[in-house]
Parts: sequence; C-alpha cells; structure tokens
Amino acid sequence: MDGSSFMEGLFISLEPMNILWIIIGGFLGTIVGMLPGLGPATAVAVLIPVTFGMEPVSAIILMAAIYYGAMYGGSRSSILINTPGDGSAIAATFDGYPMAKKGQAGEALAISAVASFIGGLIAVVGFIFLAEPLANFALEFGPAEYFLLMLLTLSAIVALSIGKMVKGFLAMMLGLTLSTVGIDTQTGVYRFTMDIPHLSEGIDFLIVIIGVYAIGEVLYNLLTIDQEKKEKKKVGKVWFTKEQWKRSKWPILRSGPIGFLIGVLPGAGGSIASMISYTTEKQISKKPEEFGEGAPEGLAAPESANNAASVGAMIPLLTMGIPGSGTTAVMLGALIMLGLRPGPLLFEQQPETAWALVNSMFIGNIALIIINILLVGLLVKILDTPAKVLYPIIVLLAFIGTYTLSYSTIDFFLLLIFGFFGLFLKVMDFPLAPLVLALIVGGEMEQNFRKALLSSDGSLDIFFSSGVSIVLFALTVASLLYPLIFKFFKRRNQAKKTDRISKSS
Amino acid sequence: MRKFGMIAILFLLLFMTACSSGASSSDEYPSKNLEIVAPASPGGGWDLTARSVENVLSGQSLVEENINVVNKPGGGGEVGWKYLESKDSHSLAINSSLVLTNNLLGQSEMTYEGFTPIATLATEWQSLAVPPDSEYESSKELLEAIKEDPASIKIGVGPGLGNDDHLSLVQAASEFGIDPSQLNFLVYEGGGDVVTALLGGHVDAVTTSLSEVKDQYLADKLNILAVSSDKPVEGIEDVPTWTDQGIDLVFPHWRGIMGPPDMTEEEIAYWDEKLSEMVETEEWQEVLENNDWEGFYKNSEETKAFMDEQHNLYKTLIEDSGLIK
Amino acid sequence: MKAIKLSVPIFFILFSAVFLIASFNLPKASLGNPNAPIYFPAGLSIIMLIFSIIYLFQELKKLDKENKYIKQMLSGRTPKLIGFTILLGVIYAFVFDRIGFLYSTILYLGGLLFYINGIKKWLVNIIVTVAFSFLSWYAFSVLLGVSLP
Repeated sequence: MDGSSFMEGLFISLEPMNILWIIIGGFLGTIVGMLPGLGPATAVAVLIPVTFGMEPVSAIILMAAIYYGAMYGGSRSSILINTPGDGSAIAATFDGYPMAKKGQAGEALAISAVASFIGGLIAVVGFIFLAEPLANFALEFGPAEYFLLMLLTLSAIVALSIGKMVKGFLAMMLGLTLSTVGIDTQTGVYRFTMDIPHLSEGIDFLIVIIGVYAIGEVLYNLLTIDQEKKEKKKVGKVWFTKEQWKRSKWPILRSGPIGFLIGVLPGAGGSIASMISYTTEKQISKKPEEFGEGAPEGLAAPESANNAASVGAMIPLLTMGIPGSGTTAVMLGALIMLGLRPGPLLFEQQPETAWALVNSMFIGNIALIIINILLVGLLVKILDTPAKVLYPIIVLLAFIGTYTLSYSTIDFFLLLIFGFFGLFLKVMDFPLAPLVLALIVGGEMEQNFRKALLSSDGSLDIFFSSGVSIVLFALTVASLLYPLIFKFFKRRNQAKKTDRISKSS
Repeated sequence: MRKFGMIAILFLLLFMTACSSGASSSDEYPSKNLEIVAPASPGGGWDLTARSVENVLSGQSLVEENINVVNKPGGGGEVGWKYLESKDSHSLAINSSLVLTNNLLGQSEMTYEGFTPIATLATEWQSLAVPPDSEYESSKELLEAIKEDPASIKIGVGPGLGNDDHLSLVQAASEFGIDPSQLNFLVYEGGGDVVTALLGGHVDAVTTSLSEVKDQYLADKLNILAVSSDKPVEGIEDVPTWTDQGIDLVFPHWRGIMGPPDMTEEEIAYWDEKLSEMVETEEWQEVLENNDWEGFYKNSEETKAFMDEQHNLYKTLIEDSGLIK
Repeated sequence: MKAIKLSVPIFFILFSAVFLIASFNLPKASLGNPNAPIYFPAGLSIIMLIFSIIYLFQELKKLDKENKYIKQMLSGRTPKLIGFTILLGVIYAFVFDRIGFLYSTILYLGGLLFYINGIKKWLVNIIVTVAFSFLSWYAFSVLLGVSLP
C-alpha cells in the first residue's frame, strides 16, 4: 500500500461534490435495492448517460455507492413484505420477515442496517490491506474449484430444508432444471428454448424471484385479505434491544470476512455469500431451531456478508479489470467510456483514483447507515398501508421491475406463471429459496463441471487436485453431514423428553 | 361511480389514438424523433456504442432531432433487430458480425440483406494470448503444437462459440493447415472470465478482443502472440500481426449501424452525411480511444460491399469450424 | 381440495417426465462429445422424477388432513381475486406494447384496486392509481431514461 496516494485518495473522496455523489448514490441504491427486480445493475446502467459529463473518479464513486447502497436496500423489502429485491437479499427473508411478523419490524430493519454497516467496514479494511494477495487467490479458482463452490452452496440450501427434505430437494431440482434453459455455453446447442429467441439467454433468475416472491406473496395474501383486522400492526421500536445485539454481534463479525472472501471470486457474489454465511451461523448456533422463526442473528449474518461481498467484488474489477458480477460488468463498461480503464495498470498509473474509491466506500457506509436508520421510521409505515392498496401496488412494481430486466413483455408471462406457481408452492409449504438459489448457481455449476472434465480429459482427479478444492470438498461434506448429526442429537433429546412426558405430540 | 371510471378511461384511449396519428406528415427527413436500437441490455457493448453515437450526434448538434437509445436485448441481437424490421426509417440499430452469423449458424431466419446498410463505425482487433511463462513464444510455435496434438492445448474463449473470438482463431488455424473442428475450446461466460482463466493458468491460450488483454500485457501478466490487425497496434507495436508471421489473416471485430428495410436514397444520404461528419469529430476520436477501438468508417455503399464480402467469409469459417454439419 | 393437494406432485411428475423426454430429443452437439449437453438435464429430470413420486406418496398418505390455506384459497371470493389478478396481468402483458406504459398501468392498477379494495373507496383508488402511474412513469422514463413504450 502506498501511503501518499492513499491520503490523496482520501482527500479526493472528501471533496464536497464527491460526498454529495456518495450520498445520492447510496440513497438511490437503497431505493432501487428495495424495489423488486430493480437492482444495482439496472440502476448503474440507466445512470450511464448521466455520468458522461462527470469526472471519472466521481462516476466510479457514484456507481460503487449505488452498488453497496442496494445491498442495504435489498433487505428492506425482504423484511417488510417478504419480497427480496435481489438474489443477495433472499437470505434476509428467512428471519427478517418472521421478525416483522412478530412485531419487530423496526428492530429487524435497524439490526440489518448495522450488520450491513459493520460487514461493509470489515470489507473495506480488508480491501486496503489484502487487495493484491486476494486478487491472486481468486485466480486459483479454476473450473473445478468453482464447481465445488457451487456444490457447497447447494449443500447449504439442502441444509436449510431440514424437516421438509423432499420438498426442498424438489424445489432445488426444479431450479437446476430451469437453469439449463438457453444456449449451452460449451457447445452452442439451444436447450429447451421452444424457438423463442428471448429464451436463448436463459430464464433470468430475477424474474423467478419477483414471480415466486413478490407476485406469489401478493396472491398468497389475497387468501386472507378480506379477514384483515382493522387494528394497527405492531412494528416495534426503531432500534434493537441489547439482547438482540448480543446475539448478533459475533455472527456479524464472522460473516463479514466470509462474505468479503466470496465476493472477491469473480462470478460468486452476494447471493452465495449470504447463503453460506446464513447456513454457517445456523449450523454453529446453539439454538438452530430458532432460525427461520425470527432469530436476529439469522438476519444479521447474511446482511453483513452480502454487503462485504459487494465491496469484495471491487477487487477483481480494480486490480485486474475483471468484473465479478453483473453490476461490476456494467460499471466496467461505463468506466471505459469515461476513459478510465480499471485493470493491472490502474494502481500504478492512477493510484489516487483507486484509493479515492476505497475511501469513498468508508464514507459511503457511514452515510448509508445514517440514511437507513433514519428511513426505519418511515419504512415501517409501509406496514400501516391497507393491504388492499399495498398489494396491487406491489404487483405493478413487480411488473415494472421485470420490464427493466430485458424490455420484453414475454417476461410478463413468465412472471405470472412463476407467481401462480409460487402461490401453490407456498400453500403446499414448499421452501422457495432452494428453487431460486439453485437457478442462480445451476448454470455455472454445470458448465464448470464440464469445463473441469474437458481440461482433465475426463478424469475426476481434478476435483481433488488443489488445496482450495479439497477444503471446499470437505466443507461440503461437513455441511451435508451436519443435518444428520443434528437430527441424531435431536432424536436423542426428544427420546429423553418422551421418557419424561411419556407421550409426544 | 363505476361509470366515471369508464368514461375517464374512454377519454384516455381517445386521447392516445389522437396522439399517435398526429405525427408523420412531413416530407423532410427526419420528421420526428430518431431512435437508435441497442439490441442489448444497458451497459453492454452495443448499448455503449449506441449511446456514444447518440452522445456525439446530439452533443455536437449534428442532428437537431431528439435521438433516443432503445434497449431491446435478447437472442444475440435477434430481438432488437426484429424490432427494427417493424419500424420506419427513423429507427436505426447497432450491429456487428452477429447479424451475419446468427443466420449462418441457423439460429435466426433474418438475414443481413433484410436491412439497409448505413455505415460501419469502428473495429476492435482480436488477439491470441498465452501466460508469460508459456513455452510458446510465437504463434507459429503454438500452432505447431496444436497441429501435433490438438487436444493437448486448451484454448479459452467466451462467451460463446461462433463469435469473432472463436472464428478468428478458426481462420488462423485453417490458414495454418489445422482442422479447426479439432481445436480444444473451453467456453467461458465472458471475455473477462477468459482472461482470469489464463492468468490463473487454467487454460493454455486464449483468443479474445485485444482490449481485454492489452493492459495485462503492458503489466507483464501475459504475452500476446498475435493480433489480427493489418498493421501493428498503437501502444503495443512490438506485438506482431498475423500477417507479419506469414499467416494471411486480417480479422476486424467491427461494429456498424443499419436501418430497417426499404429506406429511400435520400434517407441513406442523410445518414452518410451525418455519420461521416460524426467520425471526424474530436469527441468520436475520444470514444474510439477510450474503448480501444479503431476508426473503421465505411459509408453505406462501402458497407454494403463489405457485408457481402464478410458474409462469404463467415460462411466458410463456420463450415470450417465444425459448428454446423 | 384433494385435487389441489395432488396437483402439485402431479405437476412435478409431469414436468420432470416432459423434461426428460425433451432432454433426449435435444440436438446433438457438433463439437466435442455430441451428448454433452444432454447429461445434466437428463440426470436432473430423472432425480426429480424419483423425488416427485416420493412426494406424491407423501401427499397421498395425508390426503385427508386439513390444509387451512387451501381451504382459504377455495373459499369466498379468493379464487375470483386470484383469477382476476392473473387475468388482468395477462391483458396487461398484451396491451403494454400497444397502448404504452402509462395507460396500461392505469388500467391494470385501477382495475385491481377497484376489484380488491371495492368500489366504495373509489376516491382512494383513483388517487393511488393516477399518482402511482404518473410517478413511476416519471421516475423511470424521465429521470432514469428507461425506454418505456
């Protein structure tokens, strides 16, 4: 690290104009993150024309602020209306929404904001000291390692489905099958596209998220909409309790680094980071049975992880010029337009720009926690909106969000199909997350598996040929076996209880 | 009260139809807002091309009318170009070799002849790169090794077979006397992933756009064995072209712009004038420089001839590649 | 009720069966192993088929057990509400490109609100519809420059 350009970068990021961009970007990111379907990629993309007239350094600061701002925003709608705005906010529905249902919406919003903040800070510090070695570490990931990482994610999903294994598996299988729709990358063969050119690029997982979560949730709520009670819903305080903080503290600190590391890997990103940190916390928790019922640590962990991942994703972008996610890909394109070319030469030729960005992420996270805490009071009011007005609006937001994905009305039909399907899955008590997450990782998983075999001439040894792959494999096995061990202990405990009560219910 | 709503809606509908039939009754082209179709999502290569054209044309007041960039992503351009087919001459669309290959690969019914060629705007060059410590120091050595045992050299390419990255190497290989269908390609999601794979040593060589690897080369992270340009590229003059190494191959990765079918002579002439002015502006030069593109302007007539020529070339290449039988 | 309960496992069985057949009918790859694109989807559909059959038996076993959500789904005006929301959505998808974002959104949102919220609250409905449609149109089309029809 180079001290003087670090300081220079700090001063650049402290220029009033740049602070303003940070705040605007963070705020905008929070808003688009909240809306289903609208993610940071869309927001950055539509802002490209605006950045034409800007200083390149301001532009990159603004775009980065949108990116991690969206990580703060994404969980808002997960918590309040069980509708994640993006893949990385799915894990926030697991415990965030139950908390809101228990009347702790305010606490949930506050704790997720604080978790995002701490996760973000951990990652920025990590960025400053570890950018270079981590970029090299990411290069170690070849097809075999990526395949194993995806496998680990899937095993995390399976671990989630304890108690309804068959349904969880079915949902996961469905997600994986849907991920095969589109052009097969390795061979160029069109699979299951039914001659619709629109499908050749596959089914966008965001449409499935919006469908099964947003539309599905609205349809599901239509079941009880006429029995809605007039009384005001409890929304809880706008700050969390000491007890909740005590439970979340360590999960936040643990998940930050996990998320950061996964974020550094090109192609992995927030969804995988938040998923893996959630399951990790659930598995090492003393009270795993509270996960999914509104455990604050179950919300705090993925929130910390996904925000850290968004900072981590900047490392391959800045040090190698390689975009690690959809959003950073759009950012790269925009920066090149502005004549700023992230890559191996950036830290040599324009170190102050790079460090200005890193410093702006510090300031941005501070600005965002203030924005988000202030918003808590306002956001919980959403729950006061009469359901009969709120739900039609959510439907429309879902449609608009879908449209911005690829400007095609074909997606509307997909949206409705998945919405209707989502309703049935909810009614039949299926977990939804396996479906969506499997769809997110499925394509990469298959292609990397095949690439790995192609490069090893069909030998399976390649999956155990590096330290990274062996570690990933061990983690996967541990994560799969854990539920069995858990079940075994639970049975023993239950057996003891049955002894005492003599009749179980 | 329900009636009220109905009446209001009726009014709205009336208003709308009135609006849509109001325009388009003038003989001077362009008579209304213009539209540039980017057949890709915002932020992608085609989108940035479209926005740059829009930005220079409007920013330099070359065109007075409003220009809107419309995104119609999907099907490798298919969706956007189909949309263009249905529009009048106030819409143009960005294109590239995909407008030829989609049809040649049997993925699309549309042909390039179904559109009006307007211009070719810019080009990038292709490159063949290897890790810095690779045992192959010239493209000849690499091609020799491939000739010996095609399966032994893993070549990274992205995001799909049949694109320029792939076909440029197909052409080089067949010039060298290698059966291109024997090349061992690992297909990655995108140009960036290909470079990571090379840097991490997961493939032996990559074929990709020069801009993806130029900075890495300057930072000594990889070695470029050949570029597909006709003369050495600025900034990396020490990298030999294919022709320098005795392989007859100049392969542009061009971007152009085209209009819907049946545009009139005057309309085409209008764009010839505007776009030839545009490519001369400093702003456009800056766009080229920032993107590592090279000026490749051809007017409508030249573009027409160029497209015919490219069509024949791609037809041969795709047959050689073994992608279709 | 029983029909709905069984519809989901049967859907899964049919889906995986169709997918399996479709997998085997995929075009062969012309480069490399011609069957490479087939293994993964075919394998998945076989596993999915097995699991959906297990699931069918699971559901059959507790067929008589009450599921309060399905009961709700079939009671009162709920089926109509769901049907209406989806039907309007389909109409929306059809007219969106033709009559433009603003009008189709006003129609859809207005229709939904009047149907769900009731005609009695017409004032709220109209205000919300118009305000939302214009605001969203303004935000996307004007501020963000998203090309809406």
